[in-house]
Amino acid sequence: MGFLTILKKLRQKEKEMRILMLGLDNAGKTTILKRFNGEPIDTISPTLGFNIKTLEHRGYKLNIWDVGGQKSLRSYWKNYFESTDGVVWVVDSADARRLNDCARELHTLLREERLVGATLLVLANKADLPGALSLQEIQEALDLDGIKTHHWRIVRCSAVTGENLLIGMDWMLDDIASRIFTLD
Amino acid sequence: MIVFNIWSVLQWYLRPFIKWFLRKTTRLCELQRICYGDRVGSERTRNVEKSLMMSRTRDVKEVVSYLDGTVLQRRFIRCHFREILDPSVAIILRVKKINPKLHVSFIVSFRRCLEQIWSYRSLIDEVEELRRTQFDSNNDEHEQMLLNLWSLLVPDSPLEGRVSKQWQHIGFQGDDPKTDFRGMGLLGLENLLFFATNYLQVSRHVLSHSLHPTYGYTYAIVGINITSMAYYLLKDGSAKTYMFNAKQSLPNINLFHKFYCYLFYEFDKMWIESKPQNIMEFSMIFKKFENAVRMELADPASVFRINIEVDNI
Repeated sequence: MGFLTILKKLRQKEKEMRILMLGLDNAGKTTILKRFNGEPIDTISPTLGFNIKTLEHRGYKLNIWDVGGQKSLRSYWKNYFESTDGVVWVVDSADARRLNDCARELHTLLREERLVGATLLVLANKADLPGALSLQEIQEALDLDGIKTHHWRIVRCSAVTGENLLIGMDWMLDDIASRIFTLD
Repeated sequence: MIVFNIWSVLQWYLRPFIKWFLRKTTRLCELQRICYGDRVGSERTRNVEKSLMMSRTRDVKEVVSYLDGTVLQRRFIRCHFREILDPSVAIILRVKKINPKLHVSFIVSFRRCLEQIWSYRSLIDEVEELRRTQFDSNNDEHEQMLLNLWSLLVPDSPLEGRVSKQWQHIGFQGDDPKTDFRGMGLLGLENLLFFATNYLQVSRHVLSHSLHPTYGYTYAIVGINITSMAYYLLKDGSAKTYMFNAKQSLPNINLFHKFYCYLFYEFDKMWIESKPQNIMEFSMIFKKFENAVRMELADPASVFRINIEVDNI
């Protein structure tokens, strides 16, 4: 039995996952985290630094790291990459102006060695806002089809209404689970 | 938890007996004992509030709900105090069989407590409304406030445009501050503006710290996080210590702004003293700061003032 197998077994016992939430500022990362955790979402202020929440979902213990997205914080994202199982990339669907920035940051992130193998869930947030771009438009702008290194999926959602959040999260958990909790 | 439950049940049954006993031995009702015995300010006003809230007398309950009603109708302001408070105090005097001629100083002190308690409740409503008002870039008044903030903090370099990278100099996240106020709404902007308007030198001093190459932080974003802290301290009642100990003024929006200024100034001091490695330590230091503030507010004798010496630097 190799070291990796032992590691897998250990993790299987606790069924623990480490999830990193990233994206540009004002994408809605903290709101999604709070909504997912059943907390009120109407008194949120911009995240400086990070929030961490540990929550149980479908028998998994999720450690979710929500790191601030403003430009001056992005160089610190790398401090949180270690042993990440899944990345949630949050996009503000109504912010067409910064979609290029968003695509650039995402692809920089995906080149990161320590994130190899991590599952990628793109949440096209704020889909309920007037002027929100369609799933197709965002998928193209972010060049998601060009991603060969990670399992990915994009889901159109709204943290405010809660629409589709669970669908996205559940897909990611299944994908991670099939990778790290399955033993030969 | 269980101990706490037993205590509250005991208190519920024992309180009337203890009150009756004290009344017989001191010949004073609970409210009088508080107003004569407790230190003026937070201690006295909080205890009066507690006594009124726990009262099981029908008339007292009615006075309480009447006063709550005036808050709801936005009528609990100074110009209505006479018409609102005179009958309320009179009812309490009658129910508690207090002779107004003998207990003039009780009336003065009790009345002041009522003013403080219900001004605090009005303030919560007012702050809540400001917070709920979203910053709206189509509203000229909102826009003007934002521009004022800039010209107060950075008088030497005018904005090149309404949307500009310059905003990051005072610590907004991007080139347009409008999305940074989030859940704190207009309250966040009014707080920032009050600090810059009323403590110009202090706020520029704090801004200069925020631009430090190693210990720098984003001024406006930290400010909005401070707004959030002040808001929660107000809502959960912790800020009563500060508000009730203020001698010059009843709880009102300016006092809330001053509380904010104090918090911002003190946070800046703690941040610089902590010598953080980088901005990612914010969450930790901010939590530490909040705990320190809560500790201080837990002491009813705490009085908070901005150290004005900075003004002369």
